[in-house]
Amino acid sequence: MAPGAETIHAEKPNNILREVHNEFGDTEAGFAAADLVREKTWHFAEVNHAHIEPNATLAEYDPERGRLTLHTTTQVPYYVLLHVAKCLEMPQSHIRVTKPFVGGGFGARTECLHFEIIAALLARKARGNVRLLQTREETFLAHRGRPETDVTVKLGMTSDGKLTACHLRATQRGGAYASYGIITILYTGALLHGIYDLPAIKHDAWRVYTNTPPCGAQRGHGTVDPRAAFEALMNEMAAELGLDPFAVRRINLLRTIPHVTAYAQRVMSYGLPECLDKVMQASGWAERRGNMPNGRGLGLGCSHFVSGTTTPSHWTGEPHATVNLRLDFDGAITVLTGAADIGQGSSTMAAQMVAETLGVDWDRIRVIAADSALTPKDNGSYSSRVTFMVGNAAIEAAAELKRILIAAAAKKLEARPGDVECEGEIYRVAGQDRGLPFTEVVKAALIDSGPITVKGTFTSPSEFMGDKKVRGSAIGATMGFCYAAQVVECSVDEVTGKVTAHKVWVAVDVGRALNPLAVEGQIQGGVWMGMGQAMSEQTHFDQARMMHANLLDYRVPTMMESPDIEVFIVESIDPNGPFGAKEASEGMLAGFLPAVMDAVHEAVGIRPDTLPLTPDRIAALLDAREGTRS
Amino acid sequence: MNLLPDFRFHRPASLEEAVRLKAATAGTRFVAGGTDLLVNLRRGLGEPSGLIDLTAITELSAVRRDGGSLWLGAGVTLADLARHPEILSDYPALAEAALAVAGPTHRAAATLGGNLCQDTRCIFFNQSEWWREANGYCLKHRGDKCHVVPKSDRCYATYHGDIAPVLMVLNALAVVAGPDGVRHIEMTAFFNEDGSAHLNLAAGEVLAAVVLPAPGGWHAGYAKARVRDAIDFPLAGVAVALKRHGGVIGALNVAITGTNSAPLAVSTGDLIGRPWDGDTAAALAKSLRAKANVLRTTVMGSVYRRRAMQAMTRRLIDTLWDR
Repeated sequence: MAPGAETIHAEKPNNILREVHNEFGDTEAGFAAADLVREKTWHFAEVNHAHIEPNATLAEYDPERGRLTLHTTTQVPYYVLLHVAKCLEMPQSHIRVTKPFVGGGFGARTECLHFEIIAALLARKARGNVRLLQTREETFLAHRGRPETDVTVKLGMTSDGKLTACHLRATQRGGAYASYGIITILYTGALLHGIYDLPAIKHDAWRVYTNTPPCGAQRGHGTVDPRAAFEALMNEMAAELGLDPFAVRRINLLRTIPHVTAYAQRVMSYGLPECLDKVMQASGWAERRGNMPNGRGLGLGCSHFVSGTTTPSHWTGEPHATVNLRLDFDGAITVLTGAADIGQGSSTMAAQMVAETLGVDWDRIRVIAADSALTPKDNGSYSSRVTFMVGNAAIEAAAELKRILIAAAAKKLEARPGDVECEGEIYRVAGQDRGLPFTEVVKAALIDSGPITVKGTFTSPSEFMGDKKVRGSAIGATMGFCYAAQVVECSVDEVTGKVTAHKVWVAVDVGRALNPLAVEGQIQGGVWMGMGQAMSEQTHFDQARMMHANLLDYRVPTMMESPDIEVFIVESIDPNGPFGAKEASEGMLAGFLPAVMDAVHEAVGIRPDTLPLTPDRIAALLDAREGTRS
Repeated sequence: MNLLPDFRFHRPASLEEAVRLKAATAGTRFVAGGTDLLVNLRRGLGEPSGLIDLTAITELSAVRRDGGSLWLGAGVTLADLARHPEILSDYPALAEAALAVAGPTHRAAATLGGNLCQDTRCIFFNQSEWWREANGYCLKHRGDKCHVVPKSDRCYATYHGDIAPVLMVLNALAVVAGPDGVRHIEMTAFFNEDGSAHLNLAAGEVLAAVVLPAPGGWHAGYAKARVRDAIDFPLAGVAVALKRHGGVIGALNVAITGTNSAPLAVSTGDLIGRPWDGDTAAALAKSLRAKANVLRTTVMGSVYRRRAMQAMTRRLIDTLWDR
């Protein structure tokens, strides 16, 4: 992008992978109508997922039959299959990809990666099996983390805190290859919408090739840094206007739900107001903010994220998700799903949807996930799509199986299906006292038909898939947004420059918490990952040498840095989510960053503009503050 | 991680046997907890022909009273150091420093001797084999150029041990065993300010123990700058031992780590007899700056490390002054 910079790819002479320019509403008029207009630039370091499990794969090649089986640590087994087939010029039908139950994702493995292709090529060449394990350094080189990003935000605000316009510019240093760079840069604008009532939004963004490992998707994909900068500026302007940060959020809330954004997104449920109430009360904000002891502070940040992108990377016209259920003589119900359980609990979720819909005991359910030879294709575990889409498909499949079972019970009971009711595992005609147990109903259902296989699918209605008139609106198109508000309490040690987060109160609108324990864990993990980015994580390059490729120099927080994270679940019951559920693991990440920045300001009176808030940066700001005072 | 190189493994039962083995076998290294050595070996930093494991030598893991002094075997783990009742009561700064090392699992295996003798560190050295090869290696290992101070003829890798400065300010002695018997040297003389030869140990010698003199009324402490409160090596560390005589400094020892190629004592002679006030603090800061040579050996910039060293020292003495 800079004049004279070396060109990395000939077809992109200025090294710009994609630039985005959009305006919705009249921003110039919006700024003119404001009582206060402020603009500020924030710098966000590049971060990595730092998943504890380094990349690994096992490729088995059967030379007799020319078949390849790849067991791999991916979030997207079917995308891996498609790419490996292409690279090896093999028929897709000759490749089987399985994703064993191992964790480690966070966006790092949302595309087929080089190590998977290399292992497959080597296995075919060797006519045998190849196991490929990457070292931590090699995993850092594979990267796909969040890019180094500069965000300049300009906001207009009336004296009572109402936003009149926003102009956000973002530049991402994305590494030497595109990966999902186009999507990442589009996301810097897509989620300026859908959280506040904002009449005019202008967005200019550039995704640039740089001579570093390729960035990709990371939890909160593309939305985190712009949201953090936006919220930080909101907090600073609130202070300048003498307004409470909560009051500034409340006056900007969406007015009516459902709401259609200027970016053609539909907000069907919106629990942000309740989230604000919960964390304000729990943190004692009204009494404590402004009255904290010296060196200690409170700060607020809000954020949101999509419940699955309604536009998959590989668009084929197939449903967004498909689930098969098998029922055989043993009375076991096998859930077959292509969804990759990377530790987020998608297999548990699928089992829950089926058990809840059928009303059967848990221990009848067995889940087989992410094996391309057995399970129906799934796009993968990314953009927080699985609960929403696979969950709905599982419910549909279970409803179909229930219809078959009720019909069988009705036949056996010599009743009409409409008169058969199902109470747990007992099927009976309304008013009759005995009824049939599940095992008898299964026996009846298998007569003549044999083992039963049913299918459920989920397809997003087209009105949730963006508007063709709005360029780029396929990204950020979703059926539901998760909303979060959080208050962070921190202290700053003026001797060492260290910032310590002591406590986080976070409230998240997850639609419905299908599995409250798992939801709480995901929320804590999301907040914690935001904390890592805010406090200590960053990559370091010195003249193109990667300096950070180990977990000593890439500083993921330890238990010592982990604050108590108190979670409040808000259930807005989304009309389209499975039992009302929305995403529950990405939307709360970004809010930590502006919240801790504002808490640092209350603690010691400085306004950091560069993250992470490492002690050297804080110490430099403290020293500069001393200089100003004297 | 890469595979370990091939080596012979020895597990002597006595110190004499260990020393004899070392003399009889060229290219062997001593190992105890392995938390420093094994990590480096897996990265291709050294290919010893053999490892002499010291953990079967029971006398090395002993802590015993020797008159007024306390004898600490080099094989005592850091976890044991941090919870030993006599250390907690008589030399709490040592327990504090032991607890500041790495994380609990490291401390369960890592030993006093291993911590003191840990290798120096540098961002151009603690990298994988192919990284170093691509960078033309360095003066510390296989190369002829220091990337930190390019025109230098010595290695500037930094010593990052937490325990050594505390032992220095407590006037501890190192007990070194070798083919010619046992010698005692002051802890301050155990180190040498050279990143690729930072221990004053002759070939065949091993650090057997540390002897702490009787407590003697010192108030001591250790402070460590780091980004994370676990795992991280000190970006700068400082140990202070102080005796206050009424309103003035009666005695003061200061030692720093994480700044130079060795832990170093900082001169404090001028400060004795002075009150602990702004002028004295400024004079000490000047001594600290004169002694510390913080270079670009960590991903954290050197400006911060210098600042933190001075600010922590001041706070540490403020605290000890009122104790």
